[in-house]
Amino acid sequence: MNALLEIRDLSVRFDVGDAELTAVRELSLDVAEGECLGVVGESGAGKSQTFLAALGLLAENARAEGSVLYRGREILNAPRRELNTLRGRRIAMVFQDPLSGLTSTLRIGRQLEESARRHLGMNARQARGKALEMLETVRLPDPEHCLDLYPFELSGGMRQRVMIALGMICRPDLLIADEPTTALDVTIQAQILGLLAELRRDANTSVVLITHDLAVAAGLCDRILIMYNGRPVESGTTREVFTAPKHPYTKGLLASLPSLATDPAIDLTAIPGQPPDALVTPRGCAFAERCEHVMDRCISERPLLGGTRGRHAAACHLLSP
Amino acid sequence: MTAPLLSVRSLCVDYEQRRAGVFGSRASTLRAVHDISFELSEGETLGIVGETGCGKTSLGKAILQLVPPAAGRVLWRGTDLARTDARTLTRLRSELQIVFQDPLSALNPRMPVGEIVAEPLRVHAADMSAQERRAAVADMFERVGLRPEMTSRYPNEFSSGQCQRISIARAMITGPKLLVCDEPVSALDVSIQAQICNLLRRLQRETGIAILFISHDLSVLRYMSHRVMVLYLGRLMEIAPRDELFENPRHPYSRALIEAIPEADPDRGPHDMADALPGEIPSALAPPSGCVFRTRCPIATPECARTRPPGESVSASHRVACHHWRDAHAQPR
Ligand SMILES: Nc1ncnc2c1ncn2[C@@H]1O[C@H](COP(=O)(O)OP(=O)(O)OP(=O)(O)O)[C@@H](O)[C@H]1O
Ligand SMILES: Nc1ncnc2c1ncn2[C@@H]1O[C@H](COP(=O)(O)OP(=O)(O)OP(=O)(O)O)[C@@H](O)[C@H]1O
Ligand code: SF4
Ligand code: SF4
Ligand SMILES: [Mg+2]
Ligand SMILES: [Mg+2]
Repeated sequence: MNALLEIRDLSVRFDVGDAELTAVRELSLDVAEGECLGVVGESGAGKSQTFLAALGLLAENARAEGSVLYRGREILNAPRRELNTLRGRRIAMVFQDPLSGLTSTLRIGRQLEESARRHLGMNARQARGKALEMLETVRLPDPEHCLDLYPFELSGGMRQRVMIALGMICRPDLLIADEPTTALDVTIQAQILGLLAELRRDANTSVVLITHDLAVAAGLCDRILIMYNGRPVESGTTREVFTAPKHPYTKGLLASLPSLATDPAIDLTAIPGQPPDALVTPRGCAFAERCEHVMDRCISERPLLGGTRGRHAAACHLLSP
Repeated sequence: MTAPLLSVRSLCVDYEQRRAGVFGSRASTLRAVHDISFELSEGETLGIVGETGCGKTSLGKAILQLVPPAAGRVLWRGTDLARTDARTLTRLRSELQIVFQDPLSALNPRMPVGEIVAEPLRVHAADMSAQERRAAVADMFERVGLRPEMTSRYPNEFSSGQCQRISIARAMITGPKLLVCDEPVSALDVSIQAQICNLLRRLQRETGIAILFISHDLSVLRYMSHRVMVLYLGRLMEIAPRDELFENPRHPYSRALIEAIPEADPDRGPHDMADALPGEIPSALAPPSGCVFRTRCPIATPECARTRPPGESVSASHRVACHHWRDAHAQPR
């Protein structure tokens, strides 16, 4: 398996007033050709920023360090022109906030057509046809009418599907989908996941699926990376992570999940405490203040994500006594 | 039974959508919410589920008069909100709060988040001192799982899930009587989602707040709601007490939704899920004749294309709009 995308020791820091916030901490990961990697984790863990950094889309007050290789070529902090051609054509991103991924003053159709013309070299008529076809593919109701609408005239879930259409229009090698199904009803969610699976099969597209929806990750991904406080804390195949989780945080996530069998009369088992503040860099394990197994060593020494590449591993002292 | 706090009668919401044509722009009217009626009591949570674009957000906003209803009535303790004057409405706003679906765009980007959360207090509890306000905000931050030290930061410095918690804090700070939660936990990781669910339920036990809980996650919806309402294309398909709806759904769409519930199971691929309910959502501008669900319904008959199914009572608290709900029930699940 060749890595399509290799991230090595990536750190992302933000200037906030007189302090510095670290969103991503020396993170390394690989995405192989044709594979689907699920990135799961607490809100604020740095999932979105990791991939925004890789694509050169960070906010003004951010700095990224480390290395991001796309097919062996360094793209972190690459010139804007180079990134612009890569983005859209080879790598596409479906943004978490559909409003920020779409231009609010342009009709939906125009935005899709522009991408088709720029990246696929189509003429106006072909581009119109392509735009319509994409809206049909993502099963937007009345696609022809929607071409003429502005983003604000669509519901949240409809906007999300337009974003997916925009991401898929050029059949990219790598599709980074940030919470792509968050606002969709389960029947449509299933359709969109089927669509992503199809894209993988037919175009051998690699997919990075950023989600906190464990059921969605379980359905689509080959491998899972669990993030906490800017770092991966567990990585393994989907089956390993779901059936034999190693990290206390992963176990806590799986236990918090309500199912149809949950008794509504009792409280859900939430992980106690709050997600850590990204302004503070803990010396030891970032999960220590919420962990029921915490030991002295956890406070003083940071556990490493051991193991060799591709193996099921977790960053926790319980595993390396 | 106590008199309902909120009574919604035949509520309709319309939007004008403009589209460019060869002969200049044309406007068409889209009915996003169609003739919806229900009641909500103190201390009760009504869950709302339905496909994207079916009008859930529009319904929530119309109840709070954030979009004008085209027809129908919204009675809040007997006062018709759609016909009340602006001053009364402003006063009532502290009792009626909403957590918007789009967390980032709902927060003023130029205001520190502590100020955003304190703002409703400035309007509705003007006699509070600055210090009391700060304490209330710090307390609220902690209750929704945010660190009080974060109050001086700006919205764009937070992740989506953190923004969602900020909006929940803002909505809860005035101690409202009705809270419309529009997908309040869908941007949160499950451990925080569990905390927020527990928090909302605790606040409800403590204050008797009534909640309209919009979610596409049926496991969460079932856990949170006393009753559940299923919408499709702006219309009410079924409304029933929670257990009755989940154990004995009468409407084919409710059944399809329940069957498609994904599980965190690596053995279940996306294709297994996609089999659940094929077909596309029809356009709300040109809804199908008769039953609006008929283009995706597995048991549709010619009658379904001819006449719209009226709302029928399965029991006193269970209503369904389907010609064949008796047969639908007989079908194996
Ligand atoms: N422009 C910014 N300035 C300062 N801090 C920021 C900025 N953007 C993001 N952050 C911070 O970076 C951290 C990581 O954010 P990120 O958006 O990657 O989280 P996430 O894992 O995607 O969470 P979610 O699931 O909620 O989307 C958060 O603590 C957030 O507050
Ligand atoms: N401001 C607007 N102008 C015109 N049309 C609108 C506007 N807001 C919503 N609509 C339309 O009204 C219908 C219902 O939208 P609404 O946002 O209420 O759906 P929803 O059920 O909340 O969907 P979702 O689950 O995707 O959030 C959609 O067809 C949408 O296109
Ligand atoms: S390293 Fe210690 S605190 Fe961290 S998860 Fe493991 S046991 Fe818990
Ligand atoms: S009325 Fe007919 S089409 Fe509509 S849900 Fe019932 S059986 Fe299906
Ligand atoms: Mg994110
Ligand atoms: Mg909505």
